[in-house]
Amino acid sequence: MNALFLAVSYLRFHWARSLVLVLVAALILSVPIISQVLLNGSQTALTERAENTPLVLGSRGSQLDLAMNALYFSDDRANPVTMADADVIWDTGLGLPIPLNTAFETNGARIVGTSIEYFEFRGLDVAQGRQIAVLGEALLGASVAERLGLGPGDTVVSAPQNLFDLDGVYPLELNIVGVLAPTGTADDEAVFVDIKTSWVIAGIGHGHDGVLAQGATSGDIVASAAIIEFNRITDDNIDSFHFHGDPSDYPVSAILLVPNDDRAATILRGRYLDPENPVQIIVPNEVIGELVGRIFRIKSLLDAVTLIVGGAALAAVGLAIFLSYRLRAREMQTAFKIGARKGMILRLISAETIIILCIAGAIALAITIAVQANGGAIVGWLLAT
Amino acid sequence: MPLSTFSRRATLGLMLSTVAMPVLAQERPVVAAANYPLAYFAERLGGGAADVLFPVPADADPSFWRPGIADIAAIQSADVIALNGAGFATWPTKASLPRSRTVNTSAGFSERLIKTDTVTHSHGDGGQHSHTDTASYTWLDFTLASEQAGTLADAMMRQMPDQADAIAANRDALLGDLAGLNTHAATVGATAGSTAIITSHPRYQYFGAAYGLDISAVDWDANEDPSAAQWAALEDTIAATGAAVFIWEAEPATASRERMATLGLTDVVFPPLANRPAEGDFLTLMETSLQQLEAVLRDR
Repeated sequence: MNALFLAVSYLRFHWARSLVLVLVAALILSVPIISQVLLNGSQTALTERAENTPLVLGSRGSQLDLAMNALYFSDDRANPVTMADADVIWDTGLGLPIPLNTAFETNGARIVGTSIEYFEFRGLDVAQGRQIAVLGEALLGASVAERLGLGPGDTVVSAPQNLFDLDGVYPLELNIVGVLAPTGTADDEAVFVDIKTSWVIAGIGHGHDGVLAQGATSGDIVASAAIIEFNRITDDNIDSFHFHGDPSDYPVSAILLVPNDDRAATILRGRYLDPENPVQIIVPNEVIGELVGRIFRIKSLLDAVTLIVGGAALAAVGLAIFLSYRLRAREMQTAFKIGARKGMILRLISAETIIILCIAGAIALAITIAVQANGGAIVGWLLAT
Repeated sequence: MPLSTFSRRATLGLMLSTVAMPVLAQERPVVAAANYPLAYFAERLGGGAADVLFPVPADADPSFWRPGIADIAAIQSADVIALNGAGFATWPTKASLPRSRTVNTSAGFSERLIKTDTVTHSHGDGGQHSHTDTASYTWLDFTLASEQAGTLADAMMRQMPDQADAIAANRDALLGDLAGLNTHAATVGATAGSTAIITSHPRYQYFGAAYGLDISAVDWDANEDPSAAQWAALEDTIAATGAAVFIWEAEPATASRERMATLGLTDVVFPPLANRPAEGDFLTLMETSLQQLEAVLRDR
């Protein structure tokens, strides 16, 4: 008891040195566990989402970029395909095409333009508010809503694609109508809008005041560059919104394909095997499986590095403690001279070491639990960025 | 009541309610329709096995009606969402609808759609562009109505495979009735010969084109008495076309009909039935309108 009291008093008196030792030990203990948790979480998140996504259609090029963008809304975007490609799938009757337009961002979150089927396909439930119903409405992923502190009734503004493009597309203010229930996937990090809303953000659709001057007939051209486009879609101006061009030419980043059955999936894949075809179909499970294989090869290397670095750090801490005791040699001698036995001095040093390791262990455990609890969100964020 | 009898009845009631609950809880398929003709087709095709959702109020024009959020939520959850296409109603272009359950009933004859006015304008430095309008009352050509009914039937059979046989049988009966209307309309066209017709609203383009009728239109609001300027415009149209017959899309005021007679026009009411009528149904009212128009044309 006396040894414990003296050890605590000593550590409190030398609080800065004690704190450094505790933090270093805590990091040495927690880093390998955290990396293990995140790697396992990444593997699960990657493979689960890939397994649940039968096929993805997109521009021919990097299959990994296409899969990462379509599944995790990552920044790696291939050239867009068009709605005509979705229509081709639709016309075959072999499966359901779910278009995704991930070209825009707001407040650091990806804006995902899609169709109502996406929410049904992913099993996403609205936790607050309601489902998107008209142009200009947005549903927030759970993490985005929490991070931004926003909910139904608030608004977010789409980020301009190029800050220096002063004559470019106006940012669009989106009305938040709901927040999705958390899923621990990339959906938590996204802002969902109808795909038509994403085309409004792209400038393909727009709304403005009437183009006919007073007394003019519909045959007169009276509109000019002075027409101001609306940057928010409201009840009052929604009727003025319209789209230009052929809808089949409208861009989509990728198309999730839900084939009717295995036979339909095989037929669809067979139709896009030609390397001259600018459009390809990938099987996310195969692409992500390959990525996970690489991650595990890297993980083995990482484990070895962690082991070496951990051992070195542990040796450094041991050395620090040893040197600390060497510095305290006179203090120990004084204690011995005033009657403390060697066993007592040993108990004192042991108590100090155990206290430091216990506190470090507790901190490492807390960090690990915190990372584990938010593992899904952290993994989702890591995969999306 | 003896306890044993009560217990038996309670047990029987519990058993019956347990058996009945899944039946009561089983939701009937819902078909949402953008206009009354499609709602009528859905009712005929469903034959009572499906609920038809046609949320447009009786006093609204479905071409210009905009659904509220609650209406869109109900439409989103329907098993089949039947749209007319051809630019009929702009709300579907602004609403989030599930494509897998939405059917554009005029998509199969897009090359036969009739183009109307074109408006050209520009924004910023983007250059000029045009909006071309399309005549949207496609069902007034009963062959197109038949195609729309067939397309809707296919969509309903896809979404309600258990009812496919019944829907197919109902489709055949409906197509037979529409073929009857088409035959009658062709007779009306033959009876009209070269008689020019003016309509109170530009909604009869497909009717005129399909049955060889010379139809011009003024643009009068169905629920308002025409203004002096509108009467003057009508007189100009009569002078230009030599029209002898006027078609009202809805029952006009008595004074308007009397004034029409003074202009030498024989008038007749022929509702295009975009909205649900207070009485009667699509088939009977169309038949009645055709009979009245035929009678007027024969008497000329």
